[in-house]
Amino acid sequence: MKSHSEAMRSPIGRTFIPPPPVPSPPYGVQGLDPSGPLFPEERIHGGDFPAAPAPVYVDGDRVPDTFAMEAEVQGYDLSDFLTLAARNNPTIRQARLQISAQTAKALQAGLYPNPTINYIGEQIGVDVEGDKDSPGEFQGMTVRQRFVTAGKLKLSREKYMRRAHVSEHLAMAQQFRVCNDVRIHFFRALAAREKVQLRKELLKAAEDGAVTARELYNLGQATRPAVRKSSIALQRARLDVLTAENHYRESFRRLVAIVGVDLTDGLVSGDLMPEGEPISYREAVSLVLSESPELAAARAKLAADRVTVRREQVEWIPDIVAEGGAGYNFEAKETTAAAGVSIELPIFDRNQGTIRQAQLDLRRQQEEIRRTELMLQQEMANIYQQYLTALQIASEYDRVIIPEAKLAYQELLQSYKANRVDWPTVLDAQVEYFDSRLTRVQYLEQVRTNEVLIRGYLLHGGLMAAPGPTPPGHIDAVAKPR
Amino acid sequence: MSNTEQRRSFLKVGSIAAAFALATERLHNHAHAQTPSASGDAASAADSTPDADYDGFSRFKPSRGNDPDSDYYLGKLVPGFRKPAEGPAPFEAPDVPKLPYKMDNGVKIFELVPMAVQQEFHPGVKMNVYGFNESMPGPTIEVTQGDRVRIVVTNELPEDTFVHWHGFELPVQYDGAATLTQNPIKPGQTMVFEFDIHEEGTFFYHSHVAMQEAFGQVGWFIVQPKKIFDPPVDRDFGLIFQNFHIPPTHTVSDSWAMDWNWHTINGKSGPYTTPLVCKHGERVRVRLLNFSPMQHHPIHLHGHTFWVTGHEGARIPKTAWVPRNNELVGVAQSSSFEFIANNPGDWIFHCHMIHHMMNHMVRQVGPRIRDDASVDQYLTNLRSRPPVDASHQESFATPGYPQKMQGMEMSEDFMQAIWNRKEVRGMRANYAMAVKGLMTVVRVLPEDLYDLVMHSDQQVEKGAVFAEIVRRFGDPGAYQAAPKMKM
Repeated sequence: MKSHSEAMRSPIGRTFIPPPPVPSPPYGVQGLDPSGPLFPEERIHGGDFPAAPAPVYVDGDRVPDTFAMEAEVQGYDLSDFLTLAARNNPTIRQARLQISAQTAKALQAGLYPNPTINYIGEQIGVDVEGDKDSPGEFQGMTVRQRFVTAGKLKLSREKYMRRAHVSEHLAMAQQFRVCNDVRIHFFRALAAREKVQLRKELLKAAEDGAVTARELYNLGQATRPAVRKSSIALQRARLDVLTAENHYRESFRRLVAIVGVDLTDGLVSGDLMPEGEPISYREAVSLVLSESPELAAARAKLAADRVTVRREQVEWIPDIVAEGGAGYNFEAKETTAAAGVSIELPIFDRNQGTIRQAQLDLRRQQEEIRRTELMLQQEMANIYQQYLTALQIASEYDRVIIPEAKLAYQELLQSYKANRVDWPTVLDAQVEYFDSRLTRVQYLEQVRTNEVLIRGYLLHGGLMAAPGPTPPGHIDAVAKPR
Repeated sequence: MSNTEQRRSFLKVGSIAAAFALATERLHNHAHAQTPSASGDAASAADSTPDADYDGFSRFKPSRGNDPDSDYYLGKLVPGFRKPAEGPAPFEAPDVPKLPYKMDNGVKIFELVPMAVQQEFHPGVKMNVYGFNESMPGPTIEVTQGDRVRIVVTNELPEDTFVHWHGFELPVQYDGAATLTQNPIKPGQTMVFEFDIHEEGTFFYHSHVAMQEAFGQVGWFIVQPKKIFDPPVDRDFGLIFQNFHIPPTHTVSDSWAMDWNWHTINGKSGPYTTPLVCKHGERVRVRLLNFSPMQHHPIHLHGHTFWVTGHEGARIPKTAWVPRNNELVGVAQSSSFEFIANNPGDWIFHCHMIHHMMNHMVRQVGPRIRDDASVDQYLTNLRSRPPVDASHQESFATPGYPQKMQGMEMSEDFMQAIWNRKEVRGMRANYAMAVKGLMTVVRVLPEDLYDLVMHSDQQVEKGAVFAEIVRRFGDPGAYQAAPKMKM
């Protein structure tokens, strides 16, 4: 009974009530400016949408209520960002320093050992004829020099020079990592910017939907729930604009981080449409297998490992340590000379273990090359699939879907003009047209980012530290690099 | 040169004002002279005409008669000017051709071709329907009671068809009721129908395939009586009312639809329907066939009360005639309306079904009802739409506003085609805004104005004939001409 009497009291559907009000926009979105009787100021049930949204503060900073794209900001194109990155990205410099470090190591490894000067006093205090407690039988100086045999130093230097060569390839890879990342984030920012524009078009359509719903309401052609639905759609479209703007800011800031400079909010300018011909899978794979700097580094590392083996193979050949000098023989009371030669007898330790280890490292590196090739192929399969799918979809959106959506919209506008179709149908077509353009941008973004990876040997991660020439645990831990 | 000829030749060269002056002068000399002018001088002349007054009913001014039981009440049996000896008035279906025939041994031979046609519903708006002999509705077959006819039907449709002779009491094999009585007429094939016609009245032919009927396949089959119907009429008009559903951006009628958004009279849709023009005082018959797929038409004539004198089956005995302002004509029914055109002016004649009074009624929302918004703004830049103009006038404070169709745009070409027909000359400048869908106009014109409209080469200004009628019969002081802009 209570609910029945409540229903009786409800004016809905019993007396005319103005349509539900348009919700106020969330903070940061320009509001529709409805003036006129279809958009009552008056709130039903004590206010559907209380108060305007408060500004958003984060850590005491007020989030700006206008998006940078609205204001006068500087526009940057891809080449601007690449130039800035080449100068400022720290990992590129890191990679170059790695090369120098290896060259320095090579220098050190090839240095000849220093001679040693010895003072010798033998049998000090021995009694000799005529002299009790003589200063010693022999007092003198010798010089000892190790003579390095079998070209060990040359091999050591060569080995480290080859490692420096590995570092050169790795530096090249790092440069690609950075440039690819700049490109990827540039295209992401570019796509994000276009998405903002399209989201704003969709917002205008949603605003029109809200206005149209209220017009229909006044004609008895839309229900109150239908008008509320239009308000929901409007608010969602407004949130979509905010999301898109935030996403653009994120993309731009990520881009700026890779470039390595402090830029405030700015605009990216360029074209999302690929310029060149599409890449075939065969072309993509052959490109990465023949030109990948990672693979080149692995091959260079193999050469270095070969030298390592040769170096270890000569290690057992004993160096000759010669020593010579002069002194005074207090027994013979005359000046005498001293000489000695020592040579290690490689009876037990012929460096067999290290030679073996170096040989295994070499074989391991051979497998490493193969592993790298296969890993690149596996990654390429995935990236190429994403590239091709996105390209196929974006192309068909360009070739058929968007032109069709545009013509449908245009034809319906003309029909509306001729009074043959009503406005909600036109609005549907308008939304479809804008939405299909949004989808195209989403897929073009994927085309461009994957294309960058394919043409850039699948390298990305421009802020990861540049790797060194040797994997962890490799022979390296000796006092003197050899 | 007769008086009439003199007047006609004058009208071809003179000015409209001079023409009116001369015509007014002639009124006094002419036998069934035109009507009383506003001055009242001519009124006595008209009243004195022997056949102007019938038991209180006047041929020349709105009147009812002295007695509802009188034969002349509301002009029931008031004859036209046409002499019975001249035979029946020719049947005239505006915008629909007549099917010619050849005689062969006393048999009238007609050649009828079912085919797909493009029918121009509105100027430049060519809709795809089915018809006969390049016309929708099909051409009119007109014969006389007692004729023997041979109708050679050659099917140029890409599908089977049948033709049914609706209402005829003929040998069953020629009935055309699909495969109940015959094999289909295959595409490209011919079938001959031959039968005697003992009936008289209003008949029609149509395909007996349901969707082909809905798709437009119908035509008049008028049988004039051997003995002319009494009282004789001066005009015998025929109108076929049809509904179609043609989606926006489309031209093909969807015969499966259950809702109808294009309405035609003789294949034209208002304001492209051709007015029925008659002379003041004439007895007029309008035969109206409703060949809509599923909707009835309550037909209303303004300014006159008509008698329903016949239906599709036969002439109604006079004792059963009914006077009406509005006659409901059901699907596949035909009604004959007869009246004395005693009230000069342009009178709308229309289906009173609200949704038939305009084509494709669309919901009146969007830019056309918003301030400063036009569809052209949207069309100029499809990639980015203008911001919505949400401001609305105070009119929107009225729940239900707007009910009137807003922002109707008629192009210059459209208006040219509308005005390029003699039947509309001198009508009010914005008459086209009033005549839509299942609407046409009965024009009752004094003889001089009739000649001016129908026979002269005179340049007639829009609204001039209407204004002249108001001057003669109305209250000219209170009359405002139509605004001429956009027309």
